[in-house]
Amino acid sequence: MGEAFAYLLDGDSWSGSNGLGQQLVQQVLLTVVSLAVATVLSLPVALWLGHIGKGGAIAINISNIGRAIPVFAVLVLLSVGPVGTDVLGPFGRAGAATLISLVLFALPPIITNAYVGVRGVDPEIVEAARGMGMAERRIFTRVEWPLALPLVLTGLRLALVQVWATATIAALVAGPGLGNTITNGFANSRIDQVTAGAILVAVVALLLEGAAFAAERLVDPMRASRRANRHSQRTPSVPTVEPIV
Amino acid sequence: MTLAAGGSTFSASGPPCYSALVNDWICPAYVSDRRTEIADALLEHVLITLAAVALGFVLALPLALVARRYTAVESAIVAATTIIYTVPSLALFALLVNITALSPWTVIIGLALYTLTILVRNMLAGLRDVPADVKESAVGLGYGPGRLLLRVELPLALPVIMAGLRVATVSTVALTTVGTLVAYGGLGDLLSNGIRTDFKAQILTASVLCVALAVVFDALLMGTQRVLTPWTRGRK
Amino acid sequence: MNVRRTFVAALATGVLLATAACGGDPLEESDSSSSGEKGSVTIGGQNFTESQIMAAIYQELLESDGYDVTQKLVDTRDIYFPQLQKGNVQVVPDYLAGIGDYLNTEANGPDAKPITSNSAEESLTAVQPLAEEVGVTLLTPAEATDQNGFFVTQDYASENELTTLSDLGALGEPITLAAAKDCPDREDCALGLESVYGISIEEVLPLGFGLAPTFQAVTDGEAELGQTGTTDGTLDAKGLVLLEDDKGIQPAQNLTPAVNSDWLGDHPDVEETLDELSGALTTEDLAALNLKVDQDREKPEDVAAAFLEEQGLI
Repeated sequence: MGEAFAYLLDGDSWSGSNGLGQQLVQQVLLTVVSLAVATVLSLPVALWLGHIGKGGAIAINISNIGRAIPVFAVLVLLSVGPVGTDVLGPFGRAGAATLISLVLFALPPIITNAYVGVRGVDPEIVEAARGMGMAERRIFTRVEWPLALPLVLTGLRLALVQVWATATIAALVAGPGLGNTITNGFANSRIDQVTAGAILVAVVALLLEGAAFAAERLVDPMRASRRANRHSQRTPSVPTVEPIV
Repeated sequence: MTLAAGGSTFSASGPPCYSALVNDWICPAYVSDRRTEIADALLEHVLITLAAVALGFVLALPLALVARRYTAVESAIVAATTIIYTVPSLALFALLVNITALSPWTVIIGLALYTLTILVRNMLAGLRDVPADVKESAVGLGYGPGRLLLRVELPLALPVIMAGLRVATVSTVALTTVGTLVAYGGLGDLLSNGIRTDFKAQILTASVLCVALAVVFDALLMGTQRVLTPWTRGRK
Repeated sequence: MNVRRTFVAALATGVLLATAACGGDPLEESDSSSSGEKGSVTIGGQNFTESQIMAAIYQELLESDGYDVTQKLVDTRDIYFPQLQKGNVQVVPDYLAGIGDYLNTEANGPDAKPITSNSAEESLTAVQPLAEEVGVTLLTPAEATDQNGFFVTQDYASENELTTLSDLGALGEPITLAAAKDCPDREDCALGLESVYGISIEEVLPLGFGLAPTFQAVTDGEAELGQTGTTDGTLDAKGLVLLEDDKGIQPAQNLTPAVNSDWLGDHPDVEETLDELSGALTTEDLAALNLKVDQDREKPEDVAAAFLEEQGLI
């Protein structure tokens, strides 16, 4: 462990074209961009499906099958196949293949949680809103969305941390990110380097988790009322933890 | 096409579709010519997955029971399993090699550790959901703590525990591929060999098998759950 | 015969044991149905084509001698060699100077003067004592040798009139090199290219030794220079060409069996078997075997068996 920290504290480890600094930047960029893309692609559809109350089976199945598809396989298929391994700007070598794999990987928790979040809103509340003459759009924006938000945000948090930790796999196709520190350390029997990579990835994962958790509480409009009445909060029916590679 | 005189052994019909000169994605000849190799990789994948999930389950149960009994350590146990979870598998396998040498146990132990967080949480949630009046009635009928656990609590917690087991198993199938770092990745070995040698048929075949395997495991566990907990059928 | 068989059998036993009771190391208790009357042996090595073929040849030979054989092929020497010293792996088809440099670095530090040269005999004399110190014995090297080779695209070579590595150094361009992960610290790789040939290596892409991504990187222009073996028969078809090592920085990389000394003491018959192979194996054989696997995608074990039968070794 001591040697791993020495490696982390050594400026030379961070500099250079394949140093920790560049790998960290690559991995942060990959994580943020793929999460943003996945959110834009899937969140509106999942929320809409939840609102009209259809496609539940699809949402759940996407989640199940998504979990079953190894990121490694997708990455290999894409980089040997149509996408290739060209350098993609700041994302580095095989950047495009890595981004696409991570976007696909981020979809299931976002879709499932958003769908379940909207679906889980008490139908009586929705009916009451309808009875008051609210338009569908307003029902969604004023009733369903605020009530679903906690679960939606949980989904985004899960996706964020998973994508972060999974991005290390890119090193298996000589792609970008901190996985390179781990695979190169392993190949050269540099345990300090492997440990340093592991520590860095885990610490950033915990930081991301903490930051996302804080953001969740900050944004959640129902926080105050729920705190007053915390036992009535329904338990989410989706697992609150998702596998990380 | 003229080939190097030094030993190519093509039949009159030309190179097979998996030859580097053809390199098709879909190649039935690959599947039939390499069936023993594919079957062995698949079997290794299945065995590593089963061993990891079984080991994870055996470790998670006492952890969950301890966490339930002593609330003081509950958050510590849950936090510890979550932290393990944030260590990338690539690093976990590389680090475990120092303890386990190059053996399938490197992958099995690593993957078992990853299942802990899901299994422990779901076991806790499942046990907690058992209605208090049911437990009281059982105690009233003279059930001791052991019998209460085995005959009342665990069966009633089974649906939630099985849901956790399904998630754990399906993700373990996917994660086993990463074991290729230490040469025990089941189908993952075919994938990484495929990328080393630009072997498209092998990559596609291994990917498809991997997903199929996860779906089969998921269906089997769902079926098992239905058989074990007949009272949940038709609910909802 | 099959690489995975023994493991799979062992693991099946292991799963049963682990679920029935927690005990022992089930991998030791495998009862393989194959001919294992002389005990089991694990062959280690790297997992590029030539190593796979050599491991398959060793496996075939040792199995016909009555051993029960398992293979463990990994990325680099740093991973398998410590296992060979410990005896978890007993036999490795290795490269003479590769072992020599590794042991020299382990014993004398990364800046130690190289002990190998381009003479196989001298190198063996220099390396053997270091190997024995760590519990490893080197058997007779084969005539067959596979050195590091560095290639560029044929277009790049003709545009810049390159035939040798010296030409590339004289060109004075910053060079990106696609090579094995351990290349940056090796005298017969990035270090030697820089110090002996004056090639300014700007970056080493860790894509592997003669693997598809390595070739791809050079073909696509992502790297100018790539690393493969001098027995690689696939370069021409890919539009690539080797640059000659005109200053001879590549030491003698003859195929040499490295065996755990203790284990060899208990199984002396292995020496004769592997020496007989070393006597027969030529560089041309290696190149032909590689081509069959790389291009025709024959299986290493099939190629190995055919070769041994042709040579009358089994």
